[in-house]
Amino acid sequence: MTDAGAQLAEQLTGFAKRIFPVVNRMNYYQLLNVPPKADVPAIRASFYQAAAQLHPDRYHVIADAQTREQLETIYARIAEAYRVLTTPDKRQAYDAGLAEGKMRFDQKDRDAKGPKNPEDSLTHAEAKKFFRMGMICHGKKDWKGAVMNFNFARTFEPAAAVIAEKLAEAQKAQTAKGGGVGK
Amino acid sequence: MAVVGIDLGTTNSVVATVNGGEVVVIPDAQGRRLHPSVVSFAADGTKTYSHEAVARRIVDPAYTVYSAKRLIGQPFRADEVKMAASRFPYRVEEGNNEQAVFVGPDRAYTIPEISGLMLAYLKQCAEGFLNEAVTGAVITVPANFNDAQRRATMDAGRIAGLDVMRVLNEPTAAALAYGAGQNMSQRIAVYDFGGGTFDVTILQVEGEVFEVLATGGDTFLGGDDADTMLLNVLAELFMTQHKIDPRQDPSSRARLLLAAEQIKRHLSDRTEAKGELKNIGVGPQGEPLNLRFQIDRTLFEQSISTLVARTLRTCDEVLSAAALLPSQVDEVIMVGGSTRIPLVRAEVQRHFGRAPRIDLNPDEVVSTGAAIQANNLAGGAGASETAVLLDVTPRALGIAVAGGFAEPIVDRNVQVPVEQTRIFSTSADNQTVVRIQVCQGESRRFSENTPLGELELSDLPPARRGEVKIEVTFRIDTNGILRVRARDPNSGLGKEAAVNIRGQMSDSEVDAAAAKIDATAVEPAPRL
Repeated sequence: MTDAGAQLAEQLTGFAKRIFPVVNRMNYYQLLNVPPKADVPAIRASFYQAAAQLHPDRYHVIADAQTREQLETIYARIAEAYRVLTTPDKRQAYDAGLAEGKMRFDQKDRDAKGPKNPEDSLTHAEAKKFFRMGMICHGKKDWKGAVMNFNFARTFEPAAAVIAEKLAEAQKAQTAKGGGVGK
Repeated sequence: MAVVGIDLGTTNSVVATVNGGEVVVIPDAQGRRLHPSVVSFAADGTKTYSHEAVARRIVDPAYTVYSAKRLIGQPFRADEVKMAASRFPYRVEEGNNEQAVFVGPDRAYTIPEISGLMLAYLKQCAEGFLNEAVTGAVITVPANFNDAQRRATMDAGRIAGLDVMRVLNEPTAAALAYGAGQNMSQRIAVYDFGGGTFDVTILQVEGEVFEVLATGGDTFLGGDDADTMLLNVLAELFMTQHKIDPRQDPSSRARLLLAAEQIKRHLSDRTEAKGELKNIGVGPQGEPLNLRFQIDRTLFEQSISTLVARTLRTCDEVLSAAALLPSQVDEVIMVGGSTRIPLVRAEVQRHFGRAPRIDLNPDEVVSTGAAIQANNLAGGAGASETAVLLDVTPRALGIAVAGGFAEPIVDRNVQVPVEQTRIFSTSADNQTVVRIQVCQGESRRFSENTPLGELELSDLPPARRGEVKIEVTFRIDTNGILRVRARDPNSGLGKEAAVNIRGQMSDSEVDAAAAKIDATAVEPAPRL
């Protein structure tokens, strides 16, 4: 290895040691080293600079496989940041998620016209569980059971629109039918 | 020790290297720079390669393999394989793990073995020319080659005894040959119409950064198809002259196909081809049958107009994926022998509203880029000043979910390397095993995509359906090769399960084939 190669390897190894442990706590702007209001040309310029240093083609000089893998993970995350922040609708969704503390763009947000499974929009585990049980009752037309479970779910996540909506639906059906099936 | 760039083509291969800062395209012992990708097998196990093997397509069609690239990395049952195999005079059967294998005179050969033999021949050409050992290579593949095709190409390299430093997309290689060291700021389109594949790639070149904006193509559209179109024209003529369909006889068909290719080339320079082809078939009394023909360029152009139209449709799809209009492209680079066809050049010019660049040798530009990249990766130049290639996934990658659907995990045209994770849940109560079926393609229906393989995650805790979560991570490296990891995030139980890729050689099969090549030693081209 040339002196320049050895120096490059040392720099990259140091970078991997520093960044890899915290990569999941870095947001896209931090990864790209740009201010949150940066425009697309500024983001692109910063990404190209990062790519010129951190693309996997650059670290064949590093013998250690683990370091190479860590660098690849960091670089993949930077490329992801570039992809999301240079696509207007994705950037908007990302910024909204970031405000709630989500560091990565969630693929599912992309087709967020309505999550396929309504419970996906819930965050509390208990809320999800009771919501799911409510939906099972809903499926069996057991409106009484559905109302009960949706009410439980609401106690864990009172603000969730999807629970309110399904609860209202079940209550309406319950009144119309005058109780559950069978008993 | 040297490293080379290899354009392993459907019809022809080219090998190049960087020597003293200059790219050198390596000739064979006779000085020819284009090496037909043909290997011929004799009963005693000896093999003939390249130009010498082309001659054997006529005398020994059953044991002379060409267009192996059309089969590589595809399971035997793939429609493409069936279609191609039905046209080839050599026999293709099903081998281990759904592989397509060629039935040779002495034994069956896997397709990576055949490509491996061709690569070993090219390696030896280079070693003879450079007078030093060739250890590593960058091998190019069509941008739209899938994961399995890329893996199989790497296997072929390993079989040939090469360290495959990178599997590089052909159009990206061409862009590198065009723009490396030029310090340009341009948006370019690479229109690559080769022997067996077509693809188009849009790149932004800024100094030494080559960013692929979008790519797309047709793995089964190439100059070969133009030959077949022309073969049909010749066969019809033959039928009007002799009342016999020459396509029924493999040897007659092989002769006509080679003639078709020559007529096609001729018609790129001249407006008419006429003559007589001797001994195309044999008459009822055993007399030799000849074919008189006269074909003008217009007739040829009519016969291939649908093929050219297909390429332009692909151009539009790729441009729209990059959110660009044809007029927003600064240069169009023509790659592949089929771009010599005047109709192709005229249609590309009309479509993009500018004359395409034809000053780069369309046969050599890909291997030139591969050689530059091989040199970069080998650290032959100062690493920081060399080009960096930001390539993308040609297809979406996803997994099968309940209901026969495919759920994408990584989209198409996403830069590599990439790592994406999605969470899935069990679909049945007390399900303790999940089988993750991996596919490549954009369709929402799993069956409409290319199935790649599967992995299993077992010993999940029994629970109601939907309660067990499975975290699936796809990681795609700069070669475009996928690694899949599945784990249960709650129990922490997880494994990096290897995906069993359909239609592939196992590692031990590759090693065994590589050892066999060492033992038999590739015969160099006879030197005059």
